[in-house]
Amino acid sequence: MTAASPAFTPLATELGVAERRALRDARIRGAIFAVVGLISFALASGLMEAPSTFSFWIDKQGGDSFTWETTSGLLWILTGVAFGAVGILQLVRGASFQWRRALLPLLALLITATLGTLLDGKVANLTGVFRGTLELATPITLGAFAGILSERSGMLNIAIEGKFLIGACTAAIVASVTDNALIGVLAAVVAGAGVGLLLAWLGIRHGVDQIISGVVVNIGALGITNFLFLRVLSKNTELNTPPSIEAIKVPLLSEIPIIGPILFSGTPYLYFTIGLMIFFWYMLFRSKWGLRLRASGEKPSAAGTVGIDVLAIRYRAMMMAGMVAAIAGSYLSLSSAGSFQMNMSAGRGFIALAAMIFGAWHPVYAFGAALVFGFSDATQALLSILGVDVPPQLLNSVPYIVTIIVVAGVVGRVRGPAAAGQPYIQG
Amino acid sequence: MNRLRRSLGPAVLPLLAVLTAFIVGSIFIVITDFDNLSKLGSDPGAALGGAIGTVVAAYGALIVGAFGEPGNYWAAIQSGGDPKAIATAIRPITETLVAATPLIFTGLAVAVAFRTSVFNIGVEGQFILGAFGATVAAIVFSEQGLWPPLVLLLAIIFGIATGAVWGFIPGFLKARTGAHEVITTIMLNYVAAQIVLYGLRSDFLRQAGSSQPISKVLTVRMPLMFPDLPAIRLHWGFILALIVAALVSWFLFKTTKGYELRAAGFNMTAARYAGMSAGGAIILAMTVSGGLAALGGSMEVLGTVGQMSNDISSGFGFNAIALALLAGNRPSGVVAAALLFGALRTGGGLMQVKTGIPLDLLFFIQALVIMFVAAPLLIRSIYRMPARSTAEVSPV
Repeated sequence: MTAASPAFTPLATELGVAERRALRDARIRGAIFAVVGLISFALASGLMEAPSTFSFWIDKQGGDSFTWETTSGLLWILTGVAFGAVGILQLVRGASFQWRRALLPLLALLITATLGTLLDGKVANLTGVFRGTLELATPITLGAFAGILSERSGMLNIAIEGKFLIGACTAAIVASVTDNALIGVLAAVVAGAGVGLLLAWLGIRHGVDQIISGVVVNIGALGITNFLFLRVLSKNTELNTPPSIEAIKVPLLSEIPIIGPILFSGTPYLYFTIGLMIFFWYMLFRSKWGLRLRASGEKPSAAGTVGIDVLAIRYRAMMMAGMVAAIAGSYLSLSSAGSFQMNMSAGRGFIALAAMIFGAWHPVYAFGAALVFGFSDATQALLSILGVDVPPQLLNSVPYIVTIIVVAGVVGRVRGPAAAGQPYIQG
Repeated sequence: MNRLRRSLGPAVLPLLAVLTAFIVGSIFIVITDFDNLSKLGSDPGAALGGAIGTVVAAYGALIVGAFGEPGNYWAAIQSGGDPKAIATAIRPITETLVAATPLIFTGLAVAVAFRTSVFNIGVEGQFILGAFGATVAAIVFSEQGLWPPLVLLLAIIFGIATGAVWGFIPGFLKARTGAHEVITTIMLNYVAAQIVLYGLRSDFLRQAGSSQPISKVLTVRMPLMFPDLPAIRLHWGFILALIVAALVSWFLFKTTKGYELRAAGFNMTAARYAGMSAGGAIILAMTVSGGLAALGGSMEVLGTVGQMSNDISSGFGFNAIALALLAGNRPSGVVAAALLFGALRTGGGLMQVKTGIPLDLLFFIQALVIMFVAAPLLIRSIYRMPARSTAEVSPV
C-alpha cells in the first residue's frame, strides 16, 4: 500500500502513519471499553435484587465449602466501573496504555457477572470450574508454546494438531508396552522431534510451502493414528492401557484454603507448563539464544549477515516445537483420557494456534489466552450440569469469534514475526 | 510422440506420487499384520507370501469396490437389459461418481483461492453452511407450496449465497486488515459447525421424534440420472459439477477478472503496480471459492443425502486441499483427482469390509501424495529422474 509517486511528500503532521493508526486503534478500544461499561450499568439497574451465589471447596474436592452471596446487580456495577475506568485510561493515555494487561481481570469480572446472572441464584461451585479451566488450558498452552517457538524462528506451524495426535498415540503405546508412563512421554518427545524435523526438512530443504507441509502432517497424523487404532489398538487392548499420570498434591501449598485445591492439586503437566512458561519467557526475551531466534524470525537476512546460522536455528526450533506439542499430546492420552482414542485432540491444536496469536506470540500472554479458552469450556460444562438454558453452541462459538476479531485487529493489532512462512536461502 | 509426452507431462509426477504413496501404505498394511509377522521367524517364505497376499487383496478390493466386478458387468450384458442386473453391475462405479461430486466442487473452491494465493482452509465450513442454507430454503419454500423445480432452484441459490458470504468474510478481513486467512477460516469452520448444530436443534428444521441433529427429509431433491435402476444414487449434480468445472476453467483462463485473480496470485505487488486491485482479487476469489464449496454442499444435501445433519461433510473440505494440490490447481486436474479420491473412498469401503483394513489408511496415503507432489525433488530423487533445467515451480 505504499505510494508509488516520486513526488510523494509526507503530510505535514507531527505523527507518522503508524502512530496515527495506533492512536486511532487506541481510541476505538477506549470507546469499546466505555460502551461495555455503560451496558453493564444498564444491566445492573434491572438486577439489583437478583441473588448470585458462588462457592469454593476449602480443603479438597467435596469437602467443606466457602460460599459467597451477592447480587448480580452489584457484580454488574463492579464490571461497569472497571470497564469505564479502563476505557477512560485508554482514551486519556492513548496508544501508550498497556491495555492487554488490563484485559484478563476485565474479562474475569465480565464473565463472573454474566455467570451470576445466568445462574440466577443457583449455587455455582467455582473450584471445579477453575480446575477444569487449568486442565483444559494445559494442552492448549503447550501447543501455543510449540507455535511460538517455530513462528518466532520464522517457520509457520499449523501442524500442532497433528503433533498432538502423534504424541498421544506414541505415548499411549510405549507407556503400555513398557508399563512406565515416563518412558511413554519420552517416546512421544522423540516422535514429536521427528515430526518437527520432517516439517523443517520439507520446508527448508525442499522449499515446500509451510502451510502445505502443515496440512500434510495434520491429515497424515489423523489418518495413521486412526489406522493404528482400528487395526492394532482396538484388537490388542493391552497396547492401549497405559499407566496414567495422576494429579500430585504439592505438600503444604495444597493445604492453603480455596487456592490449594485449585492450583496445587493438579497433574505434573500443569506444573511443567507453568515452569516452561517462565523458562520460555526468559529464554526468548532475556537470552542470547532468544535474541538469535527472534532475529531469524524477524529479519533472517540481517541475522545471516552477522553470522547467525538461521537454518540451524530453524531446524532446532522446529524440533523443539515438535517435542513440546508431543508432550501436550501425551497429556491427552496418559493423563486426561487414560488411553488413546481416535481424533482425541479434537481441534485443540487449532485452538492452540489461536491462543498463540491471541497471546501475541508471547508465552505468558499465550497462557492467559489458553485460560480464556479453557474457562469458556469449563463454564459451559458447569452451565449444562446446573441445567441453565443457554445454547451451548453460542458459548462454544465465542472463543472462535473473539479470535477472528483479534486477528483482524479490531481490538488491537497483533503482529507476528515478520519472516514467518518465508523460505530463507542461506548464501 | 513428443506431443504425447508433452500432454502427459504434467501427469507423470502426480501419478508417481500416487504410486509411491500406495507403496508406503502397503508397508503399513504389512507391518501391522501381527499374525503374519509372527511367522517371519519360522517360515519367512510364507510370511512374505502372506504379506503380498494381504496387500494384493486389500488393493484388489479397493479397485473392485470402486469400479465394479467384471463378472457382474458380464451378467448384466447377458441378462439383456434387466434393470436389477445392470444396477448391480454399475453400482460401484456410480457410487464413485457420487463420492466425486462434492469433491469436484470443494476441489474447485480450493483451487480458485489457491490461484489467487489465498489458502482457503474454510472450504469445510463453507460446504456445511451451504448445505444448511440450501436445507433451510428447501424446507421453507416447499412448505409454502411453491412449484418444486422453483424450490430446487431457490434452495441452490440460497445455499450458494450462504457459502459465498462465509467465504467473503475472511476474504474481506484479509484484504482490509491483513488477517491471515488460515486462522480466520479455521475459526469460521468451527463457528459454521456451531451454527448448523444450533439450527438443527430448532423444531422447525429437526426431524420429528429425533433427538439427533438431523433435519427433516427434504421433499424436493435433485433428479436422479437413472431413475429406472434400483439403488443407483447418481444424480444430475455430477453433471452440474462437470459443467461448473468447465465454467471455472473458462473464468480463470479466458476472462479479465480471472486473469486478475491469477496475476494477484502470481505476484501481488506486480499486479498492484499494473493497476489491478489486489484486495478486490482476494475478496472475489474467496467469495467465489465459498460459493463453489457451498454449491457442493447444496448438491450433497439436495442430491445424495436428502436430509441435513451435522456430519453432512465427511471431510470433503479438508480432502479438497490435498485434491487441489494434486491437480496443480487446474480445473481439469481437479475433476481427475476428484474421480481418483472418489474411487478411493468407495473402494476403501469394500476394502474395509473385505480385508478389515481401516479406510483411514487412505487419508494417510492422501497426505503422502500431497507431500510428494509438493516436494517434487523427493519423487525425482527416488526415481532418479533428471531435474528440470528451469527451476520447478510449485503449483501454488
